[in-house]
Amino acid sequence: MSKTTALFGLALGGLASVATLTLGAQQTAARPDFTGVYYPFNPDAGPAPSRGAGTPPRPVAVIDGRAGRPATAPKLAPEYLAKWDAMRESRMAGNSESDPNANCLSAGMPGMMSMGYGMELQQTADKITMYGELNDVYRRIFLDGRVPTQRTLDDPTFAGYSVGHWEGDTLVVNTVAIREDTLLDLFSPHSDQLSVQERIRFTAPGVLEDRLTATDPKALLEPFTQVRTYRKASPPNDELREFSCAEGLLSVK
Amino acid sequence: MKTVSAIAAALAAMSAFAHHSNSAFDPDKVVVLKGTVTEWRWTNPHVWIILSVDDGNGSKTVWEIEGRPPGILARNGWSKNTFKQGDVITVDFSPARDGSHTGLSSRVTLADGTVLTQATPQ
Repeated sequence: MSKTTALFGLALGGLASVATLTLGAQQTAARPDFTGVYYPFNPDAGPAPSRGAGTPPRPVAVIDGRAGRPATAPKLAPEYLAKWDAMRESRMAGNSESDPNANCLSAGMPGMMSMGYGMELQQTADKITMYGELNDVYRRIFLDGRVPTQRTLDDPTFAGYSVGHWEGDTLVVNTVAIREDTLLDLFSPHSDQLSVQERIRFTAPGVLEDRLTATDPKALLEPFTQVRTYRKASPPNDELREFSCAEGLLSVK
Repeated sequence: MKTVSAIAAALAAMSAFAHHSNSAFDPDKVVVLKGTVTEWRWTNPHVWIILSVDDGNGSKTVWEIEGRPPGILARNGWSKNTFKQGDVITVDFSPARDGSHTGLSSRVTLADGTVLTQATPQ
């Protein structure tokens, strides 16, 4: 082997190594690891007001419809708008039967992705498992290519049945078989034909974005889209606590 | 009659401590009360401070003040040992719409001036 040939071979080998390294980097970039504890935040909000002295913030976020239906709410077909109106009347009268949180129930998809008290994601090659502290909600996204069976479709659940695949660095998820008695945004009813499409990705280190689109040909006049943003937690806030909502039912004096 | 009253009282207590919609409280009002802790319940889905408040006429009024869940509060510096019986504290809260002596707290100020809030970490 001449010296030139040997150098050429070495150069080719080097190129191959570079190519392998580049491919490896792309694979890493294409399959981010979402594992971790996250809390929702509003990336458009300004700095939080200072605490301590002065007037305290309003402590209660009341969702009973007395302020009317916000412009950002799902566009409901008349039959479902009438259902919302009945729910509103009941909530304003102080009743809680239509409020999943008040009944220790999961909000169901897509409302459960508000994850107001934080969520923990555990990712493997075949599955992402989500736990939400508020009402101890639980959700799985299957990544192994399975599809819902007829038995699954006939047995809707709060979280529904989610399958996903990767498109570059984005996890694309479709969820079906969602219980008809859950609410789209904690306040808007839907039909048994609800499905939810999501695109989940990191928009910055530790910042996870979930773009959710709910489609429902019976209840929605147009798809309902929400963007949820979460920030990855650092110690000591990376430990969620059990919620065990029913404990409150036992607290009778 | 006594039995009926006892059942009614038990039901009332149950409805007070069970989970519920926030619409039971008036978010446009904030009441500030100083009192003595008689009981501290570190329970899901909401914690409770039972507060004895001097009404200024020689008698005491018992207030049942609700807070957020232990998980949220633990991440804001609260704990199961935050209060003990006899502690004097000041509580800011939204009162119940029905006029009962209950409310939903927004912050608590301890006797040494420490302020405890209830925000979610971000």
